[in-house]
Amino acid sequence: MSTTLVWWAIAIYIIIALFIAYLSRSGKQTNMTSYFLGDRNLGGFVSALSYSATTYSAFMLVGLAGLTYNGGVGALGFELVYLMGVSLVAFFGPRFWKVGKKFGYVTPSEMLGSRYESKLVSIVVALFSCLFLIPYSAVQLSGVGYLLQGVTNNKISFTTGVIIATILAIVFSYIAGIRSVAWTDSLQAIFMIISATVVVIVLVNGLGGFGGFFHTIETEQPEALTVPGNGFWSFVNFLGMTIPWFFFSLSNPQVSQRLYMPSSLKSMRHMLMGFMIFGLVYTIVAIIWGFSASIMFPNLENADLATPMVLQSDLVPPILGVIVMVGIMAAAVSTIDSILLTLSSLFARDVYGNLSKNASDRKQLQIGKIVIPIIAILAYFFALLEVNLIAVLSVASSAGLLVVVPAIIGTFFWKRGTAAGVLTSVIVSGLIVIIIELTQTKPFGLASGIWGILLSTFLFVVVSLCTKQPEKVAEDFFS
Amino acid sequence: MRTHEGKWALTILFIVLLAYVLPYTVFTNIEKWYGSFLLWIILTVIVIIITYFFTKDWGNEE
Repeated sequence: MSTTLVWWAIAIYIIIALFIAYLSRSGKQTNMTSYFLGDRNLGGFVSALSYSATTYSAFMLVGLAGLTYNGGVGALGFELVYLMGVSLVAFFGPRFWKVGKKFGYVTPSEMLGSRYESKLVSIVVALFSCLFLIPYSAVQLSGVGYLLQGVTNNKISFTTGVIIATILAIVFSYIAGIRSVAWTDSLQAIFMIISATVVVIVLVNGLGGFGGFFHTIETEQPEALTVPGNGFWSFVNFLGMTIPWFFFSLSNPQVSQRLYMPSSLKSMRHMLMGFMIFGLVYTIVAIIWGFSASIMFPNLENADLATPMVLQSDLVPPILGVIVMVGIMAAAVSTIDSILLTLSSLFARDVYGNLSKNASDRKQLQIGKIVIPIIAILAYFFALLEVNLIAVLSVASSAGLLVVVPAIIGTFFWKRGTAAGVLTSVIVSGLIVIIIELTQTKPFGLASGIWGILLSTFLFVVVSLCTKQPEKVAEDFFS
Repeated sequence: MRTHEGKWALTILFIVLLAYVLPYTVFTNIEKWYGSFLLWIILTVIVIIITYFFTKDWGNEE
């Protein structure tokens, strides 16, 4: 792919996105709710697109396509189980939204701290979120690095790609907080899905149309259409990868914080339905993409290279290839900027806000703005460590965040839950997940996420039962 | 209200269980596009439809 063409495409993307970010500035962003939640006044359409762009990242067309390339259709099941899990929003969304509005919560960890009457709960949950989401952002950054390096045959270096993505993420979140993030997200979501869908249609047509496409897979690699298939998607592996993602919409603060933002429940419904339809289409596109790669280049050593290879193939016209490449970059940046914004709000609200004696709302906002670039730079250094299989690290982060899920469920459904229960379950299980990931072991064949959810549920219940429940929990949590 | 909500939740849970069980049993040898590929898509569409009806009454309350 011509390097000049790539640079032009990136330049045009940046100019349009900056323009949209600039337009999104409205009102005075002088308090936490305004800067981080858009005054709880986001419409359904923007919410849906922004939720989509935040959730779907470079992982889809690089990592998920790579998983399809490696193991076949199991990747579809994996991603769609996640999507089915988003229906949890139908049950938790209105609950988050109502208490958020009533008590003025800005972050999910703030809500937990308030519900369990413990500042320490807020601080610990916020810190754990940072601990796991900074690596997750780093994975996204390196996704952009690999992509640019791959499509230009090393003419644009890995580091250059990572630097561009880091700077864009900082700028998009800085200009107007969640407003610039939501609007640039929306633009990027539309761009991501249209460009990827067009290319997939071109690919399928080039590979013999729908019938011919599947006929080739059915004859040349029939095991790719079943699980466990070639063994990659053994049931235990499938379980280990899907469980953390099933609860993603609750466990990951960059999306659960979105539940505070819609202007009404009707807007939230539009967000949910819009997202689910977007997700279904984008997932199918990414899977067919991976299958196309396995038909065209069956013997790649590294599955992460599948996407750059497809983009440079003869079937994809160069202009279209460059457009999709920018679409993938946009997918990564739109995920990172939301995470940056959420993490800085967690730090400012829950860590600084609880530890400092004179942490006024205005002061918290100042701290939040200072923290945005600091977190971005941390993620940048993590990205330079150049990890190998993008999907594996990405799943590791969501496995780590999974340990907060029992506490979140308990917030609304179990009055008996206590702060001691939350703290023990989050800290102990979180550390166990980290140890399992660091040592790359699978005790009894089970992945870290499964241990995380089992252990955190057990500890949350047992420790809560052994300790005294909060005296007066607001009824609003249980209505 | 709670039991009403519980029924919806159980229905979705049941479909999710099918998404785990069927591809590894009934569909494990069907090496066609209308095997697990189509099954997972259909199950997801069903969950989306259930969610659509479950959230139908969410109003404009601000």
